Amino acid sequence: MNLVLKVNGTVYEVDIPPTARLLDVLRDTLGLTGTKEGCGEGECGACTVIVGGKAVNSCVMLAVQARGKEVVTVEGLAADGELDDLQQKFVEHGAVQCGFCTPGMLMSAKALLMRNPLPSEQDIRVALAGNLCRCTGYSAIVSAVRAASGQETAAIEVPGESGTLPAAESSPDVEAKVGAVMTTADLPGYQAGQ
Amino acid sequence: MVTTEVVTPATVIELSEALAGATPRTRLLAGGTDLVRAIRRPGDEPDVLIDLSQLAELAYVRREGETLHIGATTTFTELETHPLVREHAPCLAQAASQVGSVQIRNVATLAGNVANASPCADGATALMALAADVTTVDGAGHSSTRPLRDVLVGSGATTLESDEAIVEFSFPALGTAHRSAFVKIGSRTAVTVARLSVALVVRFDPAAGVLADVRIGLGAVGQTAFRDPELEKVLEGQPADEESARLFAEGCVAAVRRSIPGRYSLPYKQHAAVGLAYDAWNALALCPPCEPDWG
Repeated sequence: MNLVLKVNGTVYEVDIPPTARLLDVLRDTLGLTGTKEGCGEGECGACTVIVGGKAVNSCVMLAVQARGKEVVTVEGLAADGELDDLQQKFVEHGAVQCGFCTPGMLMSAKALLMRNPLPSEQDIRVALAGNLCRCTGYSAIVSAVRAASGQETAAIEVPGESGTLPAAESSPDVEAKVGAVMTTADLPGYQAGQ
Repeated sequence: MVTTEVVTPATVIELSEALAGATPRTRLLAGGTDLVRAIRRPGDEPDVLIDLSQLAELAYVRREGETLHIGATTTFTELETHPLVREHAPCLAQAASQVGSVQIRNVATLAGNVANASPCADGATALMALAADVTTVDGAGHSSTRPLRDVLVGSGATTLESDEAIVEFSFPALGTAHRSAFVKIGSRTAVTVARLSVALVVRFDPAAGVLADVRIGLGAVGQTAFRDPELEKVLEGQPADEESARLFAEGCVAAVRRSIPGRYSLPYKQHAAVGLAYDAWNALALCPPCEPDWG
């Protein structure tokens, strides 16, 4: 069947099987492979895109359901070749490790910031509850989203970039986490890729 | 491999026309969070898929007199945040907020939750306690209304005909004298499927100091969400105090035993029922928070 879709501001007319999932049309028909398939059943959030201003799992949505609505994928965040501020904050905060969950995390966070520019930490955690990450833990990701909303938290150093590490003994953020749950991203000496 | 035809009605009249040719293989696509997985199983492809995504007229919440009306394709995100639902059906707003993740709630609909007929459907459990009616249209253009308990008849089983679609849920709007709550327990604290859920509605009469109009929906503890009249009798006419909380918890355990005798999950669920009963009771905020004696 023929379907007109608007993705990242561009209108596409595609010829697809009637029961094609939005995920498959984005990846296979339009070649937008930034969106990932993880579980394929709406659990992990790797396939999250924004449809009509809302975060959705594109693996449990048919392409026909996006008819007439604006679709934004991770490619739409860096449309002009420059990283979106949210992406930049993910980099600065070491919120990316293997990267598979990252497009989904970004799109869930973006949808949150679009409707709530100043979210609390709880708001962020609720918005990201449907996105699973098996590498970094969630603290660095939450910090990145907070930073993107202008609520700055201490960033960690990224290799190859100049920056100042927060000293563990003088950082209440780090001290507060000792004895609670710590992730690699909380470690002062941690470098992405280790 | 069946080739599926997709029909996208834009009005209820067009929906009825689409239903006229429906067969047992025809499926209605609302949010798709359950159905998209189901129709991808080889052999389960529908002949016709009626896509409701453009049927904007069925996404609404409105109050008419003492009745709250909720359109079939209202999403859980809309239910969770809608002022009328939060005011007149708090247990439904609370249930909606605990369904899946943000991504699921943004598209999953109340009608989909009911029509999918999962025994642990949070929306259905809340609607049971609200004594909801279901209004449908069929392929002949007829509209009819019946109680939700007459629609849900088993796990994955409803009395909905192949050419019948839910268009609305309606129930008495809860007033200021009413309190309600929905609580559930699953394998984790968020984004979880209920292992046991309780929706509780009561009216508190401060002059007499007793509970009335007690309605309790139980989920994930039988073939479908249901109300248990014996359990409701336990609270009816009782004062709003700690002893009533204890009786309610005891009643919940008995209800679980009645519903799933001998089931492997019974030992867990009757224990969980105590904690959930207290959670539901405390959420009503009728008396200072109390805790079970786990002794």
